Amino acid sequence: MTRPGLAVAIRSLCVAVLLAAIPVHAADAPAGDTKDPGRAITSQLICPCSCGEVLSGCTCETGIALKGYVDDELKAGKDKDAIEAALIAKYGEVILGAPKAKGFNLVVWIAPFAATLLGFAIASMVLVRWVRGKRAAMAAAPGGAPADPDRSLDALRARAEAELRELKE
Amino acid sequence: MSELGRLAILVAFLCAVYSTGVIAWGLRSGLAGPLRSGRNALWAVCSLTVLATIILSRALVARDFTYRYVAEHTSLDLPAMYAFASLWAGQEGSLLLWLLILCAYGAAFLWFYRNRLDPFYDAVVMVVSSVAVFFTFLLAFVCSPFRMLASPPADGMGLNPLLQDPGMMIHPPILYTGYVGFIIPFAFGIAVLLMNRTGTRWIEEVRRWTLFCWMFLGFGVLLGARWAYIELGWGGYWGWDPVENASLMPWLVGTAFLHSVMIEQRRGMLKTWNVALIVLTFELSIFGTFLTRSGVLTSVHSFAESNIGPWFMAFIIGSSTLATALILYRKALLESENKMDAIVSREGSFLFNNVLFVALTFATFLGTTFPVLSEAVTGAKISVSAPFFNRVNVPIGLALLILTGMGPVLSWKRATASVLQRNFLIPTVLGVVVTLLSLPLGVKGLYPIVTVFGSAFVMATIVMEFARGLQARKDVAAGRGAMAIVDLMAKNRRRYGGYVIHAGVVMIFVGVLGSSVFQKEAHQPLRTGDSMAIGDYRLTLRGTEQKMEKNAALTSAVLDVSKDGKSLGQSHPSKAMYFKSQQPMTEVALHQTPGEDLYMILGGVNEDGTVSIQAYINPLVSLIWAGGVVMLFGTLIALSDKMRLRREEKVAV
Repeated sequence: MTRPGLAVAIRSLCVAVLLAAIPVHAADAPAGDTKDPGRAITSQLICPCSCGEVLSGCTCETGIALKGYVDDELKAGKDKDAIEAALIAKYGEVILGAPKAKGFNLVVWIAPFAATLLGFAIASMVLVRWVRGKRAAMAAAPGGAPADPDRSLDALRARAEAELRELKE
Repeated sequence: MSELGRLAILVAFLCAVYSTGVIAWGLRSGLAGPLRSGRNALWAVCSLTVLATIILSRALVARDFTYRYVAEHTSLDLPAMYAFASLWAGQEGSLLLWLLILCAYGAAFLWFYRNRLDPFYDAVVMVVSSVAVFFTFLLAFVCSPFRMLASPPADGMGLNPLLQDPGMMIHPPILYTGYVGFIIPFAFGIAVLLMNRTGTRWIEEVRRWTLFCWMFLGFGVLLGARWAYIELGWGGYWGWDPVENASLMPWLVGTAFLHSVMIEQRRGMLKTWNVALIVLTFELSIFGTFLTRSGVLTSVHSFAESNIGPWFMAFIIGSSTLATALILYRKALLESENKMDAIVSREGSFLFNNVLFVALTFATFLGTTFPVLSEAVTGAKISVSAPFFNRVNVPIGLALLILTGMGPVLSWKRATASVLQRNFLIPTVLGVVVTLLSLPLGVKGLYPIVTVFGSAFVMATIVMEFARGLQARKDVAAGRGAMAIVDLMAKNRRRYGGYVIHAGVVMIFVGVLGSSVFQKEAHQPLRTGDSMAIGDYRLTLRGTEQKMEKNAALTSAVLDVSKDGKSLGQSHPSKAMYFKSQQPMTEVALHQTPGEDLYMILGGVNEDGTVSIQAYINPLVSLIWAGGVVMLFGTLIALSDKMRLRREEKVAV
């Protein structure tokens, strides 16, 4: 791979990193949840019975009781972290809808974005290599590369459009 | 009759083995006789499977409890239509449905290609037969639906109440038609590798088959979302449940293939990538069945768990290993015929769109399977649910939305600066203007803003493309208005069908945005005569009603519903207690309008005599269902295109 090709790939990678990094933090609290503090907590939890539904929408008895518990704790002045900690102590981390980003569980947070970035990097490198290969081949061909590919392409397009018009007529 | 059913499956298994073997021999020897015999054997598999299905369906409808399957999944009080639908309610019946649809695809293939004498098509038949070997083997030796009970019960155990919904009659068969249909593209891909076949004709054929099953899978997924919305009673339609994810994954990879296949058709590029996508789509559709049936993950769809998981795992590992080995072995065959001319081109944008589709699939796959992986490594149980997927998948999905607008308006080979300016200036400006106008309406946060911008941008590019097409045809087409659009679309159905599909995608994005960001919720215990308010609506409890149905006792709240003081009539959110399962089920009351849904749930009648009512306002949720219909319509337009391969081959340089 040529050095300019590598540079393009690195630039693409940097842009992709920036794009990918913004949303992870931006999504922490969906806009709809901010109005209701109880829902902001229960929408991040899973009902601990076997139904497996997100607590905020769960209508089973366990779910309704637990939503009542969260509301009561909020009224008692406890904050989100304290309520979550108490629920984790009782039910384990399985009650969290998304695992905490620590230890082995970091894998599930990092891998999708790492894979996306890797995909972009590989696609960029392949594209750059193909484009440079094509240009080199054109330059080596008899007559060499056209002086201005854009203008040449425009001319070809105009010719194609004219031929299409003729065909339609 | 059960013995006849069992015999039919056993003989079908032998015929499938024979078909696979004899075609392999015919391909090796070059003899036409074995190839013809192999095709006939697949016809026999199809006929025997239909016979077995009829026998089981008859037993289900007749409630013949001598059949173990019938006793486990039906009861005397079950309405007849649900008794018939019990065919796909359990493990054995679902597998029989799988085989039946597989046979339907096999029969369709044999019929459409009956006059093609090219051995390549026999290789396709051989692959279909080999997959039929697996399913007939399972049904014959591992989990037969024709097992009998020595002492049949007087009544059956009944059907899972969740499945007693009209949607149940069509959702699973449509979803399976999508899932199983990927066998044909897979068989084409393997046949190309086996037969060392080059050319682009097969890829056009594969595109049409893929589009057909992709349409069914997508529609099935949407029907599933609708079923969840109405039947599960949690106010939403997509919960990132493992089985929902399993149905989404092959659809995503199939979508990637439908885009990248255009590059292969036009430019003879990405051949390895396309075959890999075909294989992956098929393997993911098998994986979906594995997830539903194995019970490795907790799911609202775990209706029929059993011990067939290892068989499916072995099939997935075996078939994917074989396919990978073949791809590597035929590497030279899959060399690209062309190279990219420029990064900023339609090919480039499709390549990046493929990266995003596969990344989205990978994120979904990892999130779905991670609880099992994490428990195996750390020993601790964890959940990976909607809060995770909303953070990880939504940004990737939004990037795809933007690319949906960019790809179609970029030129093939190279997009010049003038093309970029001409195609992107107006959509970008429109996107910004619409976004700014949406801010006072309450759109805030990065994701909602990007969704609004992306949706406006994509819609603008679609409208511009239609406008350009109409302008270009102005001189040659006499029609005006709607007729001119119909004429335009008829001339290039693939292209404009694709734009219609994109418009449907935008509608779904806007529907998801509206129903998630602007959703309102209220819950309150009410006494008779009490009212609760949600948005502009007022719900007044008039009392409760008890009703006995054939198979359940129904408790309903009678609610007077009004909006802005104007009566909208009565609604009856209910709880049904099914006699057989003794499971309480929520029956949602919906007041639907194009702008918003009022969604009412009966929480229950409390000990103090109050009635718990939970209500949601889900704005724009109708756009999701309408978007699905638009996508279906667009796909039908694209499918109706006649094969124009020769002309395309001439146009493509």
